[in-house]
Amino acid sequence: MATDKTNLQLIANGILNENPIFRLVLSMCPAVGISTTVMNGFMLGIAVLFVQVFSSCTISLFKNKIHPRIRIPTYTLTIATWVTVIDMVLAAYLPEAYAKMGIFIKLIVAFAIITMRLEMFACKETVNASFFDGIGMGLGFMFGMMSLGFVRELLGQGTILGYDILGFKPLLFFVLPFAGFFCVGLMMAFFNYIELAYKRGKRA
Amino acid sequence: MKDILTIIWRLTVACLLAAIVMGGTFVFTNKAKKENALKNEQRVMLGLLGYSKLNPAPATVALHEVYRYVVSEGGRQAMGYLLPAKDGGHGACTLVTIDLDGKFLRQSQVTLAADQLADTVARTAAVQAALGQGATLRYADQTVVVTRDGKRVAYLLPGKFPGFKTFISVILALDQKFTILGLEIMEHEEDPGLGGEIVQKYFKNQFKGKGIETMKKIEVVKTPLPADYLKALEAEPGGGLGADEVAKIQAQYQDKDIYALTGATISSRSLTNGVKGIVQKFAYRLAILDRVVQEQKISVPF
Repeated sequence: MATDKTNLQLIANGILNENPIFRLVLSMCPAVGISTTVMNGFMLGIAVLFVQVFSSCTISLFKNKIHPRIRIPTYTLTIATWVTVIDMVLAAYLPEAYAKMGIFIKLIVAFAIITMRLEMFACKETVNASFFDGIGMGLGFMFGMMSLGFVRELLGQGTILGYDILGFKPLLFFVLPFAGFFCVGLMMAFFNYIELAYKRGKRA
Repeated sequence: MKDILTIIWRLTVACLLAAIVMGGTFVFTNKAKKENALKNEQRVMLGLLGYSKLNPAPATVALHEVYRYVVSEGGRQAMGYLLPAKDGGHGACTLVTIDLDGKFLRQSQVTLAADQLADTVARTAAVQAALGQGATLRYADQTVVVTRDGKRVAYLLPGKFPGFKTFISVILALDQKFTILGLEIMEHEEDPGLGGEIVQKYFKNQFKGKGIETMKKIEVVKTPLPADYLKALEAEPGGGLGADEVAKIQAQYQDKDIYALTGATISSRSLTNGVKGIVQKFAYRLAILDRVVQEQKISVPF
């Protein structure tokens, strides 16, 4: 059962139709917890992108060798291996970023989105399709985290990427974890509204 | 049954593959990681002395590293100090052994390359070679003596002691009278939000300015931190509070005990006791070392 989508469609699918945060509502913990700034969102997005692509390709490559009874442990093992590799590489070559993000990198092992993508997609599809699906999902996650970070940083601290934009702090509580819930909900509604409006426009 | 065997076999292979990938990455990245740690340590050390990127250390300031070993020879223990030689260095070091009563035992010359000196394993091997086969050696710790124009201005003491869960490793800066200049937490695994607060300025800066006499009998008290002290502890250079104001408040609390962190008495206490131990032991050892160096006329750069 191979997918009939082209590579570009697979990427677009991850960013728009099946956006991990706004559509699949997976990996809500990082979305709520650490999307406080654009930079945080970007860094975690990059890390998830790598882990997703590597894990998807690995599972897709070995899909015939994985016993169906133990597929979940195998997925976890694969993800954990790639997370450890990225953790070590970051610690060695980007120590400044690692000092900030190190604690979150290790959490990627438990991200629902990656396991779900392996289960739903990579274990059935070719390596090529899995690679592009991984890129799409990773970019979609990064997009979600960065847009959340954008809103929360702007409203909470009045800055973007650390640069002062507004000069004041409109809604200070947006940097707190519970405001992440509001923010995710509001943005989800916003994206749904855009989709509705788009479809209505198409029909008319 | 056959299923179980297949599962075991495949899981084993998967684990082995994962181990190979992770191990390979570890070998590949370990060197860069160590270098980073060393660089970070250097930066922290200079930071404790008040130097930073904006305010770099003048060329007259030099850091001299002294390594301490525990030497066991013929059932008796002694302290071995690896001291850098006076001029230029070029890896020429003097190894001095002093017994536990402070009596000088012997001295020998050791020559080490710079990268050999920085690497614990290579350094220990060189010292072992200098001592001969009869002695067993254990690396204890390292002290950095800071000089300015050839005169001692400060000591930097990396140290490690048990915290609430695992070890807390710190770097302590003392001036020449053993008054604490600053404290930096390098590594810890205390609970975030409770014991983890030891890295916060309002706790670690409490040690600043405490003299050795105060440190000898210092305790942890469970009373709330006074508001003016909190402000002084958290003050940034160039912030709301002037430097002399901060110094005044600091001086006022200089002889007071350490105010415990809320909900983390054990962490506060172990940090205080650890720092206390480091300062006292160092002052004791340094007095002996200084006496021996003077008596034996060993050339050292400090």
